[in-house]
Amino acid sequence: MSREKLETILIRVLRIGGIAFFVVMAAFPFYWMVVSSFKPLQSLLINPADLGLDLSSLDFHAYSEVLLDHGFLRYIFNSAYVSLLTVVLSVGLATLGAYAVTRLRFRGRSLMSLSILVIYMFPAIVLVIPLYVVFSRMGLRDSTHVLIVVYLAQTLPVALYMLRSYFQNLPPEIEHAGLIDGCTRIGVIWRIVIPLSAPALASVALYTFMIAWNEFLFAFMFLDTPEHFTLSRGIVQLAGSVHLSKQLVMAASVMVTVPILILFLLFERHLVKGLTAGAMKG
Amino acid sequence: MSSLTLEAITKSFDRIQALSRVDLSVRDGEFCVLLGPSGCGKSTLLNIIAGLIPQDGGCVKLDGSAIDRLSPRDRDVAMVFQSYALYPHMTVAENLSFGLRMRKVPKARIRKRVAEAAGVLGIETLLDRKPRQLSGGQRQRVAMGRALVRRPRIFLMDEPLSNLDARLRASVRLELKQLHRTLKSTVVYVTHDQVEAMTLGDRVVVMKDGLIRQMGTPETIYGRPEDVFVAQFIGTPEINLFQGKIFARNGVCGFQGNGFFIELGTLPLPERAFNAQLAVRPEDVTLETEGAPSLETTLEMISHVGSEKYLHVRLAGEPLTLRVPKERHFEHGQTIPVHIHPAGVHVFRDGRRVQVLDRAGAPSGA
Repeated sequence: MSREKLETILIRVLRIGGIAFFVVMAAFPFYWMVVSSFKPLQSLLINPADLGLDLSSLDFHAYSEVLLDHGFLRYIFNSAYVSLLTVVLSVGLATLGAYAVTRLRFRGRSLMSLSILVIYMFPAIVLVIPLYVVFSRMGLRDSTHVLIVVYLAQTLPVALYMLRSYFQNLPPEIEHAGLIDGCTRIGVIWRIVIPLSAPALASVALYTFMIAWNEFLFAFMFLDTPEHFTLSRGIVQLAGSVHLSKQLVMAASVMVTVPILILFLLFERHLVKGLTAGAMKG
Repeated sequence: MSSLTLEAITKSFDRIQALSRVDLSVRDGEFCVLLGPSGCGKSTLLNIIAGLIPQDGGCVKLDGSAIDRLSPRDRDVAMVFQSYALYPHMTVAENLSFGLRMRKVPKARIRKRVAEAAGVLGIETLLDRKPRQLSGGQRQRVAMGRALVRRPRIFLMDEPLSNLDARLRASVRLELKQLHRTLKSTVVYVTHDQVEAMTLGDRVVVMKDGLIRQMGTPETIYGRPEDVFVAQFIGTPEINLFQGKIFARNGVCGFQGNGFFIELGTLPLPERAFNAQLAVRPEDVTLETEGAPSLETTLEMISHVGSEKYLHVRLAGEPLTLRVPKERHFEHGQTIPVHIHPAGVHVFRDGRRVQVLDRAGAPSGA
């Protein structure tokens, strides 16, 4: 066998093997989680490692218990509220901010452009204690709105950064044409920049949603009242309770994971699609 | 339609002077071409007229009233971009109607105008397509149409044909000329292509380094260049240029080049000899005719351009190009006697034109 042929086969094997390895690493815990959440407590206790799932006897008991008895309906609502509001605010502010630093000329423009990422360099763990103190003193700490503020601060730098590099690649002539055709700046952003940036905006929205939906540290530190709990905070509460049934935690975890999964699958197509085709000479 | 006046327009980018005190007035209905090499400031000037770039100093007037403080949308100008800059997320019809929709023109009238413009440009069948489904030539038409439907006070065009292939460019150029004749619109047109400038322009404005070097009809620009740059920039093949001295000999004015001498009866006798540049277009150099004074040259290369031939010869070591009929046959290295027509000679002193007398003895050139 020639060396070239050997190399090709080797690379192919390694590639498939590598992909398979990581797929198993990522999917196995998730699969186990899903399977466990659908089993009655007894069978889980008898054999926790049983990976089979009897589709005829799916037990939704854990889900109804978690949702109704343990307040997860409320937590889901809270998480959705916090995440969606963070997404809307983050995308809106990042669009305007990124547009300003790429297209408008004003004093301190380059400094502002540079400082975007500086904010991101402070790790959350450094900030959580001072923020805890500040918000406690202000009497604002135990609320979902404080979380939104914190998540905005966390997601805006990256959102600005992503959108800025996207805007820099939009041909400015299209906007000039818009200005001459009778748009105001805001009109240009609304009618031209935003439609053309749909893929970037979708990425930013997805990224922001994931951060806000999954965030644990601040939610854990700031929230005391179960009424304000987000999902991640709720799971810790659940896992920490004394009379713990494992499949409840599993069911709760599935409920945290699945929305992200669905969102990602829905948005994935839009993330890669470029929209400016045909605008320029080509 | 409208007249445009620019008064002492100045602009610099990061200490680089892009435009220095540019004055220009474009008459109502005039097709004015700004011509110059890239980086000469012609596009900057166009963007200043459109209001996309603010000038540092000077005034832009449309029909006599200053429009400097108006935003682009309030200036009532339309622009065609080199890259076309179509809205990729809109159909052709939406692209065409965008400017009118932004201006709240009644729907019925928008439909009428879009149909009209599409008819003029022959793009009726493309109205439902998106820009990415169009060819380069079709995109160019849509870009034109977008300006056309607006019926602006003035059209600004930034090298609108430079992305078309050569054949298409020539035909669109003619259509554009025709269109201008029908619409009688005021146009400011930027290009670096001299053929485009000469064929389209009622008036050509030659720019370099942020300055207007010369403006005039295509004939004037070609026939009476005001400085060496204009002389060299306009015309293919390029004008022949020689360094030398102008002085009087035996009561006649003459030019002493590097190893050759030409009598210039068309030039007034200079009081004192001066260094000068002598320029002569390839068509003003002819093969020797009987009785005319001739210069010996050596043939170096022949370019065949179909309708004629260009001979690249050496005159006392310096390159010289002349045009000859395509039927004449020549051998490389052959000695060719040529005649330089004194009436076709341009003389420049310190880069500026020296007035030349034409045959009747009257001064030519403004």
